[in-house]
Amino acid sequence: MLPVTAAALAVLATLLAWPVPALLGRARWPGRDPLVALVCWQAIGLAGGLSIIGALLVHGLAPWGHSLPEAWWSWVRGEPAGSPVRGDHWVTMTLAAVLALQLVGVLVLSWVRTARARHRHRALLELVVEPGAAPDTRLLEHPAPVAFCIPGARPLLVLSSGMVAELDEAELAAVVAHERAHLREHHHLLLLPFVAWEAALPVLPAAGRAHGAVRELVEMRADDVALRALAEGDLDGADPRRTLAQAVVAAAGRPGAAEVPGGALAVTGGGVRARVVRLLEPPAPLPPAARAGALLGAVLLLLLPTALLLLPAL
Amino acid sequence: MASLGELERAVMDQLWSADGPVAATALRDGLADRGVALTTVHTVLTRLEQKGFVVHDDARPRRFSARASREDHAAELMHEVLGQAADRQAVLARFVGSVNDDEARLLRELLAGGR
Repeated sequence: MLPVTAAALAVLATLLAWPVPALLGRARWPGRDPLVALVCWQAIGLAGGLSIIGALLVHGLAPWGHSLPEAWWSWVRGEPAGSPVRGDHWVTMTLAAVLALQLVGVLVLSWVRTARARHRHRALLELVVEPGAAPDTRLLEHPAPVAFCIPGARPLLVLSSGMVAELDEAELAAVVAHERAHLREHHHLLLLPFVAWEAALPVLPAAGRAHGAVRELVEMRADDVALRALAEGDLDGADPRRTLAQAVVAAAGRPGAAEVPGGALAVTGGGVRARVVRLLEPPAPLPPAARAGALLGAVLLLLLPTALLLLPAL
Repeated sequence: MASLGELERAVMDQLWSADGPVAATALRDGLADRGVALTTVHTVLTRLEQKGFVVHDDARPRRFSARASREDHAAELMHEVLGQAADRQAVLARFVGSVNDDEARLLRELLAGGR
């Protein structure tokens, strides 16, 4: 019975569009294990897309068969529907197609736009940066304390001269380790789906919330990876956590450049504070059982809409 | 043999430090220590023109100049880096965003309290 499947998918889509992201966004455990939380967010994003498009498609194709693959195949071959086709079937089918095209289109568009901007930034940078202290870093002459990396096939890790002047050796090493973590773990790819969700469905508050949460988690994850690298390296006995926290505070506290847009500044405030608190007073890591449970939940979340779509209807 | 990227930088450095438009032959002479041919200089200039960093005039021989000063060039870049818009942030991974003065004071207190 396809209507039951459609209803189940619709319920799942509703849960993933509001209560689930709200709960995960407010939960405190993601700070204890950002990597697991990032996996959960990816599962929510993907399962959300699958269930909302699936619900519409299943309802629209219901007159053509008893399971989605079967109904789809007979619709594609132009076979007559087994039961009367009403207007709402056509409406939901059209909506499913529009939504699927929009999501994929926005994803491709943000990919292309981002790649083009990165290409331009790299071209601009290559003319003005000097080689930095470490072989993979570049130095940009600018008073604002800024560090950033441009991901891609030829990643660039850039420190401003303001950053170098503001921080000591150990703090700079912490900054570089943090940026290297972003590059090595390809964090920009984890953000891309949520950039697309937010652009495709700006009216959905959960999309913006998810994007913000993933952005913060990616920073926390990079902090964790940096701490591990710093613990192995030589910091002259300095505490890696404190060193990285000092670097964050120093870089965030002195905009240094007049062109920093004033209105947008406070937006990152809460996130920066959470990051510093987390560095200074690390929360206990998630117990292995909770970790496994969260990962299992993410897998099940992805399997549920897939099973509803592909298995012959109940 | 220097890479094209290095040559682009060397050519831009010359254009930025020059008083006015410079001919390709003068650029080649300026790069004499690298031993590059005139055709290589032209290749580099064409690439830089395609990227929008260099313009040429209609004099004979053609003379080239930088479209923006070194400072403007860096400022344009930093404007994008420092922008807080989400789509800009997606392009590059910035170590930490800027916070306002109150928030900065709070962060320093937090750091001092943990000592």
